[in-house]
Amino acid sequence: MPDAQTLTLISPELLLSIFGLLILLVDVIWREKSQSALPWLAILGFALALAATLYIWGSNISLFAGMYMVDMFSLFFKVVASLAGILITLVSIDYLRQRTPYRGEFFAIFTFSILAMMLVASSASLLMIYLSIEFLSYTSYLLTGFLREDKKSNEAAIKYFLYGAVTSAVMLYGLSLLYGVTGSLNLTDIAAAFSATVDSTVRMIALVSTMLVLAGLGFKISLVPFHQWAPDAYEGAPTPVTAFLSVGPKAVGFAALLRVALTALPQWVLPAPPPAPVKEIPLVLAVVSIITMTLGNLIALRQTNVKRLLAYSSIAQAGYMLIGVVAVNLTGNSPFSGLNGILIYLFAYLFTNLGAFICVIAIENATGIVEIPEYAGLVKRAPLVAALFVIFFLSLAGIPPTVGFIGKFFVFGAALREGWLYLAAIGVINSVISVFYYFAVVRQAFFEAPKDATPIRLAPLVTLSLVVSAALVLAFAIYPQPLLNLAAWSMGMVK
Amino acid sequence: MTVNHFVILSALLFGIGALGVLVRRNPLIMFMGIELMLNAVNLAFVAFSRFLQSLDGQVFVFLVLTVAAAEVAVGLAIIVALFRTRATVDVDEVSGLKG
Amino acid sequence: MDLIVFYLFATLAVIAALGVVALRNPVHAALCLAVVFISLAALYVLLSAPFVAAAQVMIYAGAILILFVFVIMLLSPGVDQGAGALKWQRPLAAVFGLALAVELILVLASAVLPAARGQYTPERLAQIGDVQAIGALLFTDFLLPFEITSLLLLVAMVGVIVLAKKRVRS
Repeated sequence: MPDAQTLTLISPELLLSIFGLLILLVDVIWREKSQSALPWLAILGFALALAATLYIWGSNISLFAGMYMVDMFSLFFKVVASLAGILITLVSIDYLRQRTPYRGEFFAIFTFSILAMMLVASSASLLMIYLSIEFLSYTSYLLTGFLREDKKSNEAAIKYFLYGAVTSAVMLYGLSLLYGVTGSLNLTDIAAAFSATVDSTVRMIALVSTMLVLAGLGFKISLVPFHQWAPDAYEGAPTPVTAFLSVGPKAVGFAALLRVALTALPQWVLPAPPPAPVKEIPLVLAVVSIITMTLGNLIALRQTNVKRLLAYSSIAQAGYMLIGVVAVNLTGNSPFSGLNGILIYLFAYLFTNLGAFICVIAIENATGIVEIPEYAGLVKRAPLVAALFVIFFLSLAGIPPTVGFIGKFFVFGAALREGWLYLAAIGVINSVISVFYYFAVVRQAFFEAPKDATPIRLAPLVTLSLVVSAALVLAFAIYPQPLLNLAAWSMGMVK
Repeated sequence: MTVNHFVILSALLFGIGALGVLVRRNPLIMFMGIELMLNAVNLAFVAFSRFLQSLDGQVFVFLVLTVAAAEVAVGLAIIVALFRTRATVDVDEVSGLKG
Repeated sequence: MDLIVFYLFATLAVIAALGVVALRNPVHAALCLAVVFISLAALYVLLSAPFVAAAQVMIYAGAILILFVFVIMLLSPGVDQGAGALKWQRPLAAVFGLALAVELILVLASAVLPAARGQYTPERLAQIGDVQAIGALLFTDFLLPFEITSLLLLVAMVGVIVLAKKRVRS
């Protein structure tokens, strides 16, 4: 039985488990009467988990025989996860009411998927990484296919599932090899085993098993060549779930990647016999990053469905973030450490992308429109949504004064500091390309005449979450200091 | 009998499973290929566990077994739902989404 | 003696695995899969892991395979027509090629495996009991993953019922 201190330190996770179960229970007992209360129960759970996370803010301790780290790095992700949970629940209420009778189950599974995000962020052993990533995957598959009468939803789920199951098996194979060569499941012990060896065969196995693990995580992050599921799953899934898919798995994929990179293979250095080690992994990641950015952006240029457009845009965004992973260097006390760049970028991306999807949901809920040509004259029909689209797209393209600019600034800065000049340059060029497709949507909304000029009525909850995410995007752009501090703290805590 | 015997067998099974996923189009059979891959990983874990004389690998296998059971349930449920809406389980015919 | 048993079941497993991927009829493929599962269980016994072997038979050959057969019967998808790759499948091939390459390296690396000696020698395991040792670990060091697994199973169950049950609640 874990002691009281341990229970306090995992209280955000405990709260989410309790609320997830509670939602299922309430749904079964007071079937009809409880329907409208269930999402609020989920929101209460997320809010309490957020409060609990802030209560244990500053902890740096490893629990459960070194398997679970409660440190600033993981707490950062827990804050992000609970905020995302609240926003997505707010926008799913109206969306689901029109589409499925199983809302209780939906909110319970969604609560568990936020729980899974938290678990990944804290995992410090191969077993926990595998288990919590699988947990997140299964909840995502289920949510993607949740509209069971809808052909697109089914199709999205089967593609997502088959692709995900294969890549997770590949990742698992990599994990088994890591266990075989180091004799341990714990990331710190793996690092110790690696630093104690200079054998060149161990090095080869370490390299290849790391690549296999990267394949599994690359699927979650939607890196090329593991990205093909993303557009189909994004288009077919219920739109609030799409919003979740575009931020949740991506965030924790990066969390796990960084945890492995910084704990098991410090600075990507593999065990090597002298002379000085060659850094193969950053090189591979740099190539993947370039292809991911470029391909994502080029294909996005041709999209006419706004959900697919955002899917390819989110693939490209993953490429930018990967630049930070390539350039991770925690030595020296520089703000351009790569790590804080990724954390700031992730934070920026999460709320910007959620915001963009909430705009899409607002329009889809009221009119069913998801095709970009039908966005013509949006500014006359729904001025708030049209205006906020501009803000979110500015942020996604990395143009000031938005938080997206700050993220790109620190990520590209880290690349320059580490001497990845061409990587930063390609990143900037790609950001310029992305402006074209983002502003194709804006042009439709502002400068085309509407075919149907009836104003679009927005649901109050959707408006609220729109305003909240827009406020986050602008507030942190004007006053980024808390974000910078946050990232700096998390950085000092990763071991 | 050394660990290498088992590791080679595991690689072989993993490769065959992967091949199944790559060449077959029936999601049920692709799914069986995935199960083969997971079994291959389990074999590697048990073998490493035996030769490292640590039980961590075996505990891992237990959890993989459980997760695989959940995976099969979820996957087959998705296939059943898919079949209900369009009366086919051929991945090639599932192409309402372009891409 | 051990080596003979190993080669016997290893050969069986490989042949059956080839059957899974090569046979056209899903029911035949499922039967081959059963043979793979059981051969692996035999190999686990050989690796002095009887508890895993029992679980393998119960969960894989028992639960998972039955589920497969049920779904095959339910959907009766018929015979798979021909082979051919989907376009998203090709990039994966590179990864698998890589995976197999590692194995060759591993074989060459026999000198470095295993990396460390733990405390669970086969003799000690026989003395305290395989089931006891794993059970104790599951409820001490591995308590957290164990509990997470229970949630995972619950979520899977709820989700599967929503997706696959027959009539929609009005």
